[in-house]
Amino acid sequence: MLNALITSMFAGLLELDNVQAGQFLLSRPAFAGPLLGWLSGCPLEGARIGLLIELVYMDFIPVGGVVPPNGLVAAATALLALTWAGLPESLAFFIGVFAGFLYGGVEYRLRTARSGWNTKIEAEVKDGTINIGRWLAGSLLLESAVTGAYIFFFSALVFIPAVFVKPAGIYTATNFAYSLMPWLGLSGLYFRFRTQVGKKG
Amino acid sequence: MSDEVENKNSSSTLYSLPSTLLSMFLRSFFIQAGWNYERSQNLGFVFSLLPALKNIYVHPEALKRAVLRHLEVFNTQPYMAGFVIGNVARMEEGLAPPFFQKGQSTGENSEALEKNMQGIKQALASSFASIGDRVFWGRLKPLTTQLCIVIWLGAGFYGWLFTGAGSEVPAAGLFAGPVSGMAVYGAFAVYLRWQGLKKGYACGGGANCGLDAMDWRKLIRRLSLAGFALSIVITLAAFALLIEFNRGLVSKSDLALKIGLVLSVLVVHRLARKFGRSIFFAIGLILAASIILFSVLKLPGFNIL
Repeated sequence: MLNALITSMFAGLLELDNVQAGQFLLSRPAFAGPLLGWLSGCPLEGARIGLLIELVYMDFIPVGGVVPPNGLVAAATALLALTWAGLPESLAFFIGVFAGFLYGGVEYRLRTARSGWNTKIEAEVKDGTINIGRWLAGSLLLESAVTGAYIFFFSALVFIPAVFVKPAGIYTATNFAYSLMPWLGLSGLYFRFRTQVGKKG
Repeated sequence: MSDEVENKNSSSTLYSLPSTLLSMFLRSFFIQAGWNYERSQNLGFVFSLLPALKNIYVHPEALKRAVLRHLEVFNTQPYMAGFVIGNVARMEEGLAPPFFQKGQSTGENSEALEKNMQGIKQALASSFASIGDRVFWGRLKPLTTQLCIVIWLGAGFYGWLFTGAGSEVPAAGLFAGPVSGMAVYGAFAVYLRWQGLKKGYACGGGANCGLDAMDWRKLIRRLSLAGFALSIVITLAAFALLIEFNRGLVSKSDLALKIGLVLSVLVVHRLARKFGRSIFFAIGLILAASIILFSVLKLPGFNIL
């Protein structure tokens, strides 16, 4: 459980790179997957899960105010479902993909909540206090904490039933579906660039 | 604007104060912090611009007014924000000194110039958002994923392709894949952030300022072609590996079935895209079909590898 907590918090820190700060791709699943996997003692599984999540999530682009599914959350949750809940990698992958998809709703609420800050900041500025950095630091802290907590609690939701129920009946099915995911991801890459070349820039 | 809205010495430009430019550059890495639906990147924009504003406006009232006008809605591609930040910093410098020097700090001119500045700011933000989205999100990022795949293939890590197969790869090899792409991507992004700020400041005030910093059209076209070529190479390599890994292990009919299954995945994805469905539709369809076949109908287990 301590390892799950540490992984979640570390993922929460990496998440800052996704939107809030830097954007050096430290939060990309293909990097975060092997990194978190390495910390949990399974770098190969982390690398595989990370890359496959990156490939399937590549369909979504964060243009304008669009909130795409979160690849880092997906990779971290999948790894915790694998290492903490002890589920097979294939099932853990699909759970992670689902968690990343649902996180879009959380991010939407965070962004909506921050809208309310504008009037408060304007009032502060009018009063002569210009301290935007403090608000941004709060935003970073909140984003990191919420992401970490989301990953931890989502993984706990998976862990608790997994202790009592081992749905072995669906493992064969998830293994088969999982073995097709690399090809689905590769087709995404191909279609993306083919469309772009067709559009001529 | 009243007479009290005066400025600092107009000779203190950002070029004479490189520390201000550097501070703006470092702060621009937080352009998206505080992103909100009401005004998008407004908080990050003001945070990045603040060193320049503090340098330009020594009077608290003037500074306050400048901050408030930039707390309005702002949204652009984060790596391209430097072009707009630099431009606005220059316009703010240009907005302030003439009123101070000529004593025209009241009246319609000031409002007209402020309005013009907001117009240029929004126009440039939209233009650079369009370019940046196509360069970074649409092309460079997927290209770094392709680079990762190529490096992993070169290092002999096929585990990402064959989920049922074990692999032995040193950690360095695993990290070399994503890190190499990140290094290229990061270097270009940082370069553009810095150059954008400098160029934006140098040509500040123009509605097309910085848009000619590169031949974006050619860059986008080349990136698209490179990505397309790599995607073909990777797909062909994947099929070659599929055949090679199964050779001698399964019958020809089983191999044909595997290739057929892989091709059917491509068809499913293509159809999903054609009918405007996301990749989640394809994933759901594959998962549902697998559960029906293997959990309900109890077919014997079968993996691509």
